[in-house]
Amino acid sequence: MELIVALGLIVFKVALLIAILLLLPLPLTWLERKIAGHMQQRMGPMRVGWHGLLQPVADGIKLLTKEDHIPAEADRFLFKLAPILALAPPFVVFVAIPFGETVSVLGTEITLYVSNMNVALLFVFAVIGIEVYGVIFGGWAANSKYAVLGSLRTCAQMISYEIPMGFAVIGVVMLAHSMSLLDIVRAQADVWNIVYQPVGFFVFFVAGLAEAQRIPFDLAEAEGDLGAGFHTEYSGIRFAFFMVSEYAIVLLVSVLVVILFFGGWNGILVPLPPLLWFLLKVAFFVYLFIWFRFTFPRYRYDQLMAIGWKVLLPLSMANIIITGVAFF
Amino acid sequence: MSLARDRVGTWIGWAFFADLASGLALTFGYMFSRSVTMQYPDKEKWLPYSRYRGHHFLKRDEGGEIKCVACELCARICPCDCIEVIPYEDEKGNRRPAKFEIDMARCLFCGLCEDACPADAIALGQQYEFSSLASRDLVIGRDDLLGKPGKATTGGGVVTARLNTEQDVLVETSEPQGYNWWRNIRRT
Repeated sequence: MELIVALGLIVFKVALLIAILLLLPLPLTWLERKIAGHMQQRMGPMRVGWHGLLQPVADGIKLLTKEDHIPAEADRFLFKLAPILALAPPFVVFVAIPFGETVSVLGTEITLYVSNMNVALLFVFAVIGIEVYGVIFGGWAANSKYAVLGSLRTCAQMISYEIPMGFAVIGVVMLAHSMSLLDIVRAQADVWNIVYQPVGFFVFFVAGLAEAQRIPFDLAEAEGDLGAGFHTEYSGIRFAFFMVSEYAIVLLVSVLVVILFFGGWNGILVPLPPLLWFLLKVAFFVYLFIWFRFTFPRYRYDQLMAIGWKVLLPLSMANIIITGVAFF
Repeated sequence: MSLARDRVGTWIGWAFFADLASGLALTFGYMFSRSVTMQYPDKEKWLPYSRYRGHHFLKRDEGGEIKCVACELCARICPCDCIEVIPYEDEKGNRRPAKFEIDMARCLFCGLCEDACPADAIALGQQYEFSSLASRDLVIGRDDLLGKPGKATTGGGVVTARLNTEQDVLVETSEPQGYNWWRNIRRT
């Protein structure tokens, strides 16, 4: 009986997680367009629903009913596989993400995470690494020069930015003596990691921007020079898959920043429910992503590589050394 | 000396991303500024100035009779040949238009007909919403032209638009030179 309850809980949590992640891009696109509009003294979507709230639904219906076009010269199998490969890893990563401590509902202890791995951080980075395959396959299979250029750029960018990203969290792991995200958050109960690891946060956040391929590092889909980058040839629901995966990664990077550097669900000053604190912090970082997008221009490709290899990598290494010397 | 100090200051600023921060502050400020969008045709619409050249209209004199004397000068001066006037003699013996048709599909709204008219009978008014699905509907006859709205008197205001169901128009003005919408935008 207990086994059935436990299994049912896991299935329920996974289903809930997938539902939330699939539906969250709807309000996020609305929010992004609204914020973009107001930053540019426009209003954003206004006509569908109250202040355009139903606009993402209308867009979704449009994408679903559009022709699913596959170029004649494309590799059909890889072309169909790529959106799924791009969509799955951000969803898988959320399995390892804790959203709070254990809560008890109706006498049953419910953990606010699907799985508490002792190497959760390693798992997260390993799975994010897979995400690049979807992009490369998508660009290559489409057999279009813009798509190939976009996916090559993405490939180089992801690989060079995953290194400083991985190095940046080593300081956090040293402080928490653990790679479990739950332990990392518990270790920040008194002082958030941002106090000890400002450089680590900076490197992680910038690398996260590059990993999510958002402005100022959205070289892979630079409209001006590449059409739309790796998903130039995609249309309809397959294009929507790439969009959902992009928003899931934005969310993922925000969640990781909050967990690793901003104390997870530990609140300060105002006693709010832990989950609310967590969501507020994540919302702030998602807003920061959107805010950056409509403030900064795009970096040139060589600048992107120079920042990755000549600035972020040495910074993250120095951070490891300084943290190591100071705390051990 | 001061130049060198300025340069050091600039470098310190760059090291702490002062330029990026100021850019972010600017966009954040603009996010809470007023929007310049006019929600046409959902909510509000722009009232043109009195000098605006919109849809033509024909005028009547004090006695309520049409001013046009059917001299056909407007038809003659029209660069796109879109006015057709056929005169007749009415019961008082005056020359009046039996037919006065303007093909709005061809009109380029230059206002030369208004300038040429010796009787001050035709003018270009304030109406600008007369799109149509068929170009033959754009041939406007004499009686329709008599009923069209005239020149705007105040102009530049914002009035309720056609599709507005809420009747909540933000700005109305009686300023002769119009409402300066830039004034309400926070600019730095």
